[in-house]
Amino acid sequence: MLTVKDLRVSVDEQPILNGLNLEVGEGEVHAIMGPNGSGKSSFAHVLAGREGYTVTGGEVRFDDQDLLDLSVEERARKGLFLALQYPVELPGVSNLVFLRESLNAIRAARGEPALDAATFMKVVRDKAGQVNMSPELLKRSVNAGFSGGEKKRNEILQLALLEPRLAILDETDSGLDIDALRVVADGVNVLRSPQRAFILVTHYQRLLDYVEPDYVHVLSGGRIVRSGDKSLALELERRGYGWIAGEAAA
Amino acid sequence: MNAMLEPVERYRRLIDAVAPSLPGDDAGWLTSQRARATEHFVRQGFPTRKDEAWRYTSLERVLEQVWAPNAEPGLQPATADIAAFHLAKDAVARLVFINGRCLPGLSSLSGLPAGVQLGSLHSALEQQPERLAPWLGQAAQAGVSSFTALNTALIDDGAWVHIAVGTKLAGPVELLYLTTGPGTVAAHPRNLVVLEDGAEATVVEHYASLDDTACFTNSLTEVLLGAGAQLEHARLQDESAAARHISNVFVQQGHSSHYRAVGVSVGGLWSRSEYHNRMQQTQASCEIDGLYIAGDAQLTDVHLDIGHAVPACTSRERFKGILLGRGRAVFDGRIRVEVDAQKTDAQLANDNLMLSRDAEVDTKPQLEIFADDVKCSHGTTVGQLEPEQLFYLRSRGIGADDARRMLCLGFATEVLQACSVDGFRARVETRLQQRLAAGAVMGNSGE
Ligand SMILES: Nc1ncnc2c1ncn2[C@@H]1O[C@H](COP(=O)(O)OP(=O)(O)OP(=O)(O)O)[C@@H](O)[C@H]1O
Ligand SMILES: [Mg+2]
Repeated sequence: MLTVKDLRVSVDEQPILNGLNLEVGEGEVHAIMGPNGSGKSSFAHVLAGREGYTVTGGEVRFDDQDLLDLSVEERARKGLFLALQYPVELPGVSNLVFLRESLNAIRAARGEPALDAATFMKVVRDKAGQVNMSPELLKRSVNAGFSGGEKKRNEILQLALLEPRLAILDETDSGLDIDALRVVADGVNVLRSPQRAFILVTHYQRLLDYVEPDYVHVLSGGRIVRSGDKSLALELERRGYGWIAGEAAA
Repeated sequence: MNAMLEPVERYRRLIDAVAPSLPGDDAGWLTSQRARATEHFVRQGFPTRKDEAWRYTSLERVLEQVWAPNAEPGLQPATADIAAFHLAKDAVARLVFINGRCLPGLSSLSGLPAGVQLGSLHSALEQQPERLAPWLGQAAQAGVSSFTALNTALIDDGAWVHIAVGTKLAGPVELLYLTTGPGTVAAHPRNLVVLEDGAEATVVEHYASLDDTACFTNSLTEVLLGAGAQLEHARLQDESAAARHISNVFVQQGHSSHYRAVGVSVGGLWSRSEYHNRMQQTQASCEIDGLYIAGDAQLTDVHLDIGHAVPACTSRERFKGILLGRGRAVFDGRIRVEVDAQKTDAQLANDNLMLSRDAEVDTKPQLEIFADDVKCSHGTTVGQLEPEQLFYLRSRGIGADDARRMLCLGFATEVLQACSVDGFRARVETRLQQRLAAGAVMGNSGE
C-alpha cells in the first residue's frame, strides 16, 4: 500500500530525513519509535503533504500513485489520514461544521453522496460516543481551548468518521490518561481490517500493549535503523536507544 | 484648505434652503440647536487630511458633488421588495426609510406594548417637539465634528424610540434605511433611542441600497441609557459599491447600564463609522464588537472614542477586519480614562486578516489614561491565514478554497456571535461568503 524508498528531505537546507525506507502492506500495523528530534513527525508531515519540507531524493508510492505529486487534500481523499502530534486550534470554526465538511469531502471522493444534516448528526453523535467525547465539544470551535486529551480524542473521532485506508497517528497516545489511551487503542482496533493500515508513532510500549503491532521500527538520524516485531519495542523499553545507535554506527 | 471652503458654502446654502421645511421649527430649543450647529459647521468646515482623525481619508470626492437630501425616490418600492431586507424574524416593530424619509406604509408598528414609543422622528417633532427636548442633541453635543454638526443642522427624520422605565421589548426593533435614485442622493437620518431606567431593548439598524445609485449617507444615532438599562445595538452597513457612508453613534450611559453593540461594514465605496461612548455613571459597561470587510476600491474607516469619566466602568472593544484585493481599512480606537475613573476595566483589540498583498490597513489603538488604579489593555494584529490551519483542514480532504472560506468565516464568527439576532448574523455570513467567492480575492494556495 505504501512504499517509501530512500526518502531524503530537508528543511531550510538542513537534512532531516536521510534515506528512509519503509514498506507498509494492507492490513498491517507499524509502530515507529525513536529519540526526540529523529524525524518521526517530519516523516508523517511529508506523507500528509505539509508544505515547508523539501524532498531532495527518493520516492513515495501510495497504492499505484506517486504520493508526493498529490496535493494535501488529494492525499486525504485517497484515504491517507494524519492524526497530528499537536492538533491545530481553529477559533470560530465550529467542530461540527469541520467534521461535516471533512466527511462530505471524503465521501464525495469515494463517490458517495453528502450526508443530510440529520443523518450526519446521528453518525457524529454515535462516533463521539464511541470515543467518549462529550457532545459539548462538538459545538465548540475546533480544538480551541480543548485540553490536550480532548484534542487527541477529537483526532480519534475524525479517524473514526473518515475511515481512512492508511492512518498515521503521531504520538496520539502522548499525554493521555489511561482511559483516553484505551479510547485511542480501541479507535485503532475497531478500524483494523485487512484493507487498512496504520503507522503508529509512539514513545511508549503502553499503547502497543493494547494495539499489537506487526512491525516495530526505530527511526534515528532521519533513517530507519532497525526493524523487528513487537519484541523490539519491549527491548527498547528496557534498554533505551543507545545500543542501537552503537550497533548502527558499527 | 481653500478647496474645502466651497463645499461648506454650498452646504450652508442647502441648510438655508431646507430650514423652513424642517419639522419643529416653532420649537425654540430645536431652532436654536440647529442654528448653533450650522454656525459650528460653517466655522469649522469639513475636515482635511491635516486633521489626525482624517489622515487617511480624502473627502474631496464626496464633497465635489451636490447630494440632494430627501430626494423623491424614482420608484416607490413595494412591501414585497422590502421583505428581502428584513433581518430579524421576530422583530416587534419595523421602520423603513427611503432616502432619509420614513415611509409609514412600509413600516409596521402595531402591537407594541405599553411604555414603548416608536416612530418617525419627523412626526414626533411635528406633533410634540417638547417631548423630545430633554434628549435630542444631548449625547451628540460633545466635541461635535463637521458631519455631526451638519446632521444636527438638518435634523428632519429618523427613528424615535422611547422605552419607559422597566419595560422590556420581546423582540428587536428593526430600522431599515434604503437609498435609491434617480440622481445623486443624500440622507441624513437622525435617530434617537432612549431607554429609561431598567428598560431593555434590541435595535437593529440596517443601511442598504435599492439600486447602485451613488448616495451619501450621514447618519447619526443618539443612545441614552438610564440606570440599569440594557441595549443591544446591531448595525449593518451593506450599501451599494457606489455609496458613501458616514455614521456616528453617540452613547450616554447611566449607572449600571449595559450597551452591547455589533457593527458591521460590508458595502460602500467609502464608509466611516464612529462610536462615541460616555459612561457617565458608575458601574456602566459597554461591549462593542465590529467587523469590516473591504475589497477593491473600498475604504472602510472605524473610529472609537470611549470615555471613562467615572469609577468602576467596564468597556470591551473588539474589531476585526477582512481585507481583500486592494481594499483599505483604518482603525482608530481611543479609550480615554479620566482622573476620577479609578477601577476602570477597559480592553481594546483590533485584528486584521489580509487576504491579499495589495490590501492595506492602518491600525492605531490609543489608551489615554489619567487614573492610576485601572486595568487597561490593547492589542492589534495584522496577519494572514495561518498555514497550519489551512493544512489541517486540507489534510481532512477539504479543498483549499473551502478551507480558506471556513477560516475567514471563523474569524468573523468570533465577532458575530456577540449578536443575538440570528438573521443579522446569517446575512453577514452570506455577504462574506459572496465577497470571498467573488473573483480571485483569495490568492492561491502557494502564497
Ligand atoms: N519546520 C522546521 N524548521 C526547522 N527545523 C525543523 C522543522 N521541522 C522539523 N525540524 C527539525 O527536524 C528534526 C526532526 O524533528 P521532528 O519533529 O520530525 O522530530 P520527532 O522525531 O517527531 O521528535 P519528537 O519525538 O520530539 O516529536 C528536529 O531537529 C527538528 O528541529
Ligand atoms: Mg514528533
